[in-house]
Amino acid sequence: MTAVTMPAAHEDNENPRPVPWRRMAGIIWRQHRYALIGVAVLLGALSLYLAVAGASMHHAYATALACRPANSFACQNQVIDFNTAYAPTAQTIGVLLMAVPMLIGAFVGAPVLARELETGTFRYAWTQGFGRRRWTVAKLVPLGVIVAVAAGLFSLLFSWYYQPLFTDGDSIPLDPKLFGVRGVVYAAWTLAASAVGASAGLLIRRVVPAIAVTLAFCVALTFAAGLYLRPHYETPVLGKNLASAPASAWVLNGWWTKDGTTISQSAMNQVETTLFQQTMTATVPKNVNSDNIKFYKGSANTQVQDYLYRHGYAQWTSYQPASRFWPFQWIEGGWLLALSVLLIAATVWLVGRRAV
Amino acid sequence: MTVQTLPAAAPDDISLRPVPWRRMAGVIWRQHRYALIGEIAVLGAVAVVLWLIGTSLHHDYAAALACRPAGSQACAETALTFSGSFAFLANGGILQPLPVLVGAFVGGPLLARELETGTFRYAWTQGFGRRRWALAKLVSLAVAVTVPALLFSLELAWYYQPYFATRNQAYDLTEMTPLYPALFDLHGVVFAAWTLAAFAIGGLAGMLIRRVVPAIAAAMAVYVGLAFATGAFLREHYLAPLVTTGSLNLPNSAWILSQWWTKGGAVVSPTTMNHVIDNTFTSVNPAVNSPGQKFLAYQGILQYLTEHGYTYWTRYQPGTRYWPFQWIESGWLLALSALCIAAAVWLVRRRAA
Repeated sequence: MTAVTMPAAHEDNENPRPVPWRRMAGIIWRQHRYALIGVAVLLGALSLYLAVAGASMHHAYATALACRPANSFACQNQVIDFNTAYAPTAQTIGVLLMAVPMLIGAFVGAPVLARELETGTFRYAWTQGFGRRRWTVAKLVPLGVIVAVAAGLFSLLFSWYYQPLFTDGDSIPLDPKLFGVRGVVYAAWTLAASAVGASAGLLIRRVVPAIAVTLAFCVALTFAAGLYLRPHYETPVLGKNLASAPASAWVLNGWWTKDGTTISQSAMNQVETTLFQQTMTATVPKNVNSDNIKFYKGSANTQVQDYLYRHGYAQWTSYQPASRFWPFQWIEGGWLLALSVLLIAATVWLVGRRAV
Repeated sequence: MTVQTLPAAAPDDISLRPVPWRRMAGVIWRQHRYALIGEIAVLGAVAVVLWLIGTSLHHDYAAALACRPAGSQACAETALTFSGSFAFLANGGILQPLPVLVGAFVGGPLLARELETGTFRYAWTQGFGRRRWALAKLVSLAVAVTVPALLFSLELAWYYQPYFATRNQAYDLTEMTPLYPALFDLHGVVFAAWTLAAFAIGGLAGMLIRRVVPAIAAAMAVYVGLAFATGAFLREHYLAPLVTTGSLNLPNSAWILSQWWTKGGAVVSPTTMNHVIDNTFTSVNPAVNSPGQKFLAYQGILQYLTEHGYTYWTRYQPGTRYWPFQWIESGWLLALSALCIAAAVWLVRRRAA
């Protein structure tokens, strides 16, 4: 009985097999260990601060909540005191932490290609058996994943740290100053910043200018996303004649209409002021002490509002409800991931095209 | 009559006269023009944005002040428009990195780049002398970095002015203390002093580390630590804080550091005090229901407790100390910068070329 013979074991002998991917791990570590250690030190130091400050904040909040009876003045006052003592610092910390993804992207991402190009070592590195495109992929992808994962873990710690201020209603989840530091987008911003850094490094071919350009670009992109893109991820909810928008909603805009046409703020101010003065004259008793007039203002405002609602005026509020936090996180995380993949692919393609 | 002859005109001919200082100007400009143009571009871009949104902010503020009668719904809305206007800039956090970005990116590479690429061997062996070379570069760039920062801080002062006006209270607007930690270093001469310090730290870090990117990163880290320590611990001790028992009459411009109760000279713990306030509240004002009325009643309680042996202490820095604090902080930052620059120059002289 004849059987088909096995093919020869070494058919590809004349064409050397490419160096396996895992061999790159050691090179990446040796070339970028200081950058990675720097990221670890930065995030470690910040984590230490958040852990210590967070423990004290959680303790203070637990104390305020443990106060009994909960609706007594002293207990409510404790919650107010808690907010006054901790909220301003925590908010400032949140804003400052938005700089961390940009710094990581600039200091880790930008030198990856720029340093090889600036010092000329790319001539050696890119002509090895590993192949220059695989070399670039093997560097950019693991570095991007490592810093993104580290940043993602760090943002979990921040979410824990900040939790009491969401629970007691001091802050809203969609607040532009906090949205980027929680959920999946912190990791996504770190990845995107690294990808921006890598492509800036390839285009500019000098380390320090590439770092500076990466920082500037990321700042501009963060502002553009927060101010112009994020409010439109989903169509805002329109509320009519709400005395106040739902708690924890992100209010985008407010305006008045009369019989369907929008009224300018200054025209509306005049209407409201006139009505307010009429109502005050009608409702405040003649003999009231001037110090106590303020107690009548609240009810006068309510009367003015009711009057306006009954006479064809409508007050509109556009807002994003807090329940959209996670959809928004995935939308922003999604487009940042797509941007990063696109930038890395373009960088790899350009590396392949460039004459050594 | 004999007169003494004049000494020979050029006794120092043997040793060459050093290259004059002004010749360095062209070299410095050519080597650092991109850094300086970058600084001007960054500050200029932020200045334009600040000017645009600042005009709109001042417009909203004027509208809030012009609204009559205060307390009406319309005025509450104009006040809300003002406080919501560019609120992301109101606490200053976003602008805090500006001095360090400018300073570290100009200062860090100054010496590190020559050392990293090896060009220091050429630069330091010219007729100008290495110590004068380092001094000329560090000092002239320090000035070139500080002056635009000083001009920029004038615009910042204009931008933040509405938040500190004492009349705000009368129009239901928040009045912040000019000593508010996250804003203190943004509006005044301290902004320029911090930029100078970041530059000087960057220069010294470059000399010590001898590599550009690590030097920039190290300068940033040192700066952040220093700025944080200053705002959180150091600044409140520039002058001895004032202590008062009349917390209700304290102006909003005061920077309150801590508050506590005492009875008969002994400090009462916050928990005990809450019980006392709560009991007094129910016994003195049993009929109060709404939270708004409660707050007014609270002031009555404070009055009541004060009359019954309790004292409410407040430790604070008055707002009038804003300028003394600015000069104190600028002073020590200037001294620190001079020290860093002197240390860098000394190290340049010591190092074997």
